[in-house]
Amino acid sequence: MKKFGSILLAATLAFAITGCGDSNSAGSTDNAAASGSSNGAASKPVEITYWYSWGDKIAENNENLVKMFNESQDEVIVKAEYQGSYADQHSKAQAAFAAGNAPEVWQNEIASVGVFAESGMTQELTSFVEKDQLDMDDFIPGLMGNSYVNDKLYALPYLRSTPILYFNRTMLEEAGLDPAGPKNWAEFEDYARKLTIKDQRYGISMPVDIWFYEAFVRQSGGTMISEDGKSAAFNNEAGIEPVKLWLKMKNEGIMSIGTTDDAGTQAKTDFHNQRSAMLFASTADLTNNMKVAEEQGFELGTTFMPANDTFGVPTGGANLVMTSGLSPEKQEAAWKFIKWMTSKEQTIYASSFTGYLPSRISAVESDEMKKLYEEKPLFKVAVDQLEYAGPRPMQKVYPEIGEMIKDEILRSVVDSSVTAEAAIAEAAKKADALLSK
Amino acid sequence: MTFWSRFRPYVMVAPSIVIFSIFFIYPIFYMIFLSFYNWDFINPVKEFVGFNNFVELFKDSAFLQVLSNSLNYTLLSVSLSIVISLLLAIWLNREGAWYGFVQGALFSPHIVSLVSVSLVWMWLMDPKFGLLNGLLDMVGLPKLEWLSSPDSSLLSLVLVSVWKGVGYNALIFIAGLQSIPKDVYEASALDEANWWRKFYKITLPMLSPTLFFLIIINLISSFQVFETIAIMTNGGPINSTNTLVFYIYEYGFRYFKIGYASAAGVILLVVVGLLTLVYFKLLSRKVHYQ
Amino acid sequence: MARKSILRTLNVTATIVLVAIFAIPFLWMISTSLKSYPETVIFPPKWIPSKVMWSNFQAAWESGPFLKYLMNSVVVSISILLLQFTTIILAAYAFARYSFKGDKLLFGITMVTLMIPGQLIFLPVYLLLSKWGLINNLLALILPFASSAFGIFMLRQSFKQVQEELIEAARLDQTPEWKIILRIMVPMARPTLVTFALFSFIAHWNDYFWPLVMTTSDAARTLPIGISKLREVDGGAAWHILMAGNMILVVPILIVFLFGQRQIIKAFVYSGVK
Repeated sequence: MKKFGSILLAATLAFAITGCGDSNSAGSTDNAAASGSSNGAASKPVEITYWYSWGDKIAENNENLVKMFNESQDEVIVKAEYQGSYADQHSKAQAAFAAGNAPEVWQNEIASVGVFAESGMTQELTSFVEKDQLDMDDFIPGLMGNSYVNDKLYALPYLRSTPILYFNRTMLEEAGLDPAGPKNWAEFEDYARKLTIKDQRYGISMPVDIWFYEAFVRQSGGTMISEDGKSAAFNNEAGIEPVKLWLKMKNEGIMSIGTTDDAGTQAKTDFHNQRSAMLFASTADLTNNMKVAEEQGFELGTTFMPANDTFGVPTGGANLVMTSGLSPEKQEAAWKFIKWMTSKEQTIYASSFTGYLPSRISAVESDEMKKLYEEKPLFKVAVDQLEYAGPRPMQKVYPEIGEMIKDEILRSVVDSSVTAEAAIAEAAKKADALLSK
Repeated sequence: MTFWSRFRPYVMVAPSIVIFSIFFIYPIFYMIFLSFYNWDFINPVKEFVGFNNFVELFKDSAFLQVLSNSLNYTLLSVSLSIVISLLLAIWLNREGAWYGFVQGALFSPHIVSLVSVSLVWMWLMDPKFGLLNGLLDMVGLPKLEWLSSPDSSLLSLVLVSVWKGVGYNALIFIAGLQSIPKDVYEASALDEANWWRKFYKITLPMLSPTLFFLIIINLISSFQVFETIAIMTNGGPINSTNTLVFYIYEYGFRYFKIGYASAAGVILLVVVGLLTLVYFKLLSRKVHYQ
Repeated sequence: MARKSILRTLNVTATIVLVAIFAIPFLWMISTSLKSYPETVIFPPKWIPSKVMWSNFQAAWESGPFLKYLMNSVVVSISILLLQFTTIILAAYAFARYSFKGDKLLFGITMVTLMIPGQLIFLPVYLLLSKWGLINNLLALILPFASSAFGIFMLRQSFKQVQEELIEAARLDQTPEWKIILRIMVPMARPTLVTFALFSFIAHWNDYFWPLVMTTSDAARTLPIGISKLREVDGGAAWHILMAGNMILVVPILIVFLFGQRQIIKAFVYSGVK
């Protein structure tokens, strides 16, 4: 009995120690075979890890691209790993960096590019770009704002987006509304009213999301943070009007604002089940929504987010970054991967697969994309909306500020005694406190 | 005594003591140390800030809410759990296969992982499609907000914790009840007295070690609540379900304010330590041992 | 007479209601796991799905490396148990039957750790383990639990209750200590050890917090993490898949519970009462 026990103990421990090590070594058994077969006398391929966010079609896109990269050459082997939402992925990347096993390449959500560049976690890319003479002008200028930190290049646009307005075209037509969708706030409110059927569906279901708030603020001609990055710039009409509109629509019962942790998912669920007629979401969800619309039997429409004084949206999505402090070998490998992932062919692929924006001008003007836009004009909406798009704030404390703004707005949603003015004033106060540190 | 036999006990306790020192004792001291610094985990330099983190914590209205949430949650879930399980124990303390089955059914939530429990209850409490609102609607009652309103979110979590814990507590109470010898009742003149007197004068005092044990166990574990929050609410809406451990996790692992999170950890340590001390001093006198 | 049987019926009904209250969440979980997506979002909710979707289980299982999660859970829980047996038997025996300088202090240190929840120490331990390069390694999930103050406490009680004469007799026979431990003490403390084993295995099998903090990739994750990740579906809440995955986590434990119900309950209660 005892002998068996000790053998079992030894075996289990041995298995534990060797069998399931950290991510880097766990992959080595798979790759040993690969490198053995592809390279005879040549050096072993360099292995790097790539972390990405979001599932469904977006995950598929990432996995496909990585596979294509691995098959297209044999100097670098990339291991891709899904890490959840941007927030989760960033936390893990930071923790991993401190633990000394950060992924070499990862997706950096654009509003946090500054956070990681300034803490020294990501590598400046200027020298790589110059060495390879990358054509930086080919990148769509509107997407470069979140790639430079203090005028230094830290990231390259990869999967970029803008929020757009999805709507159930079938429902709009049934209600006798313009099937092209609402164009401004007034129409937006009106459509929501006409599309709401009590106890059956809402005009629109949405979460309080900082990204959407930024869009509404832009549409009113405002900005989030002051030029010098030291104070909040949204405590004014431009910042208050959006909240007022939302509260008005919610109180009238034509807009449903979710307050739970998964409110964003709930809004999408509502739209998918035809319990709401409109949805704000990233253009990255386009192919997914198209699939669902087909399954559910309704026609999908997309249009710009409604204008107030003007159209306006923040850009979104993530750029690719390289972890700092890598060995020259790994840096080469990482750069090869980043360069490939952000080149014209790949951005065409990614864009058609998911609905994300193509990041390069040459891609937008390519025959493939032109054909896609003709056949499926839904894909073109976000590209056209780029005209009115701007970068997201990148201060080190901005992610925290975004959370706070969301909380204050939520407060006014659940507590009728808190006015829009009060909520925004409080949010601005807290933002100022954080920015001044 | 040979040298070996003098040395031997130390060798035998060494593995355990080493493990405890490395993974429990040392971290506590390190955490206290870190609470006096500002550190973002990546920077090799830590910035000494004295008591600043503690000052900041108490100035932060979110932290104060977190403290109050923790206290409310603990008070509610422990008292509800203990009272309900005691009543259930008295009721179900009977022989027979049926009662054995009932006891087992009550106990099953305890075996299942808290992750699973949280997921199921999150689904049950879904304000639009959840079964609970479905049942309420069916009997003509208004639907409840459950986790979507800051007013009911904490209570919803308490409900889940009570559901999970009641069976365990009840079974321990039953064991305690069964260990009260019948002749104690007979011996005392209270044999013919009414139920309440019997309970108050005999049952409760005889049960007090069990009660003592269960209260402290429940208290400590409710301060450690994490899974239900992480899975069901993420601390929201608007921090209404944010409690100490989750706050520490958020600031340590999401915002990487290590010093700040450590300071909150020190406060948790102090609270739990105080609670235990007060509890032992105050109530251990009331416990009646045989 | 009639009164008694009415009371009895009421009683039985009440217990049935009670069982229902506790069983309904499980039943609803089963029901949801068998539905198709549209059926999960109808209101008022339906109990019996019109078409049983066994494919949900496959979808859940394939949503992540569940086999790996399962294996990791098994390896971690068993390793912890085996290590704990070794450490607590040795330590409990020393505390129970020897008296040595500093034994009170050392026992005190052991007991203090009972007061310290994992949630308090995870940050420093994370920093420590990352310095040793053990993050995302199963050892990070095993080593911190290689011993158990609770186990030492329980076992010490049991060892103390073994009659002095038995041990004296063995010692007089020149039986080496380790034989005394293995041949006399351990068998006598069997109920305690079984109790503790059940306790420890279930606790670590179900642990979510520690693996969550200490792992950054699927290679080292355990089942509870795997199940919770089913939540991260961004295309719309897929409750049917989520509940199917949940079933994978819950059903094995419940089956074990069904068969060993008496023993398991006895084990938990025994440890609580003692």
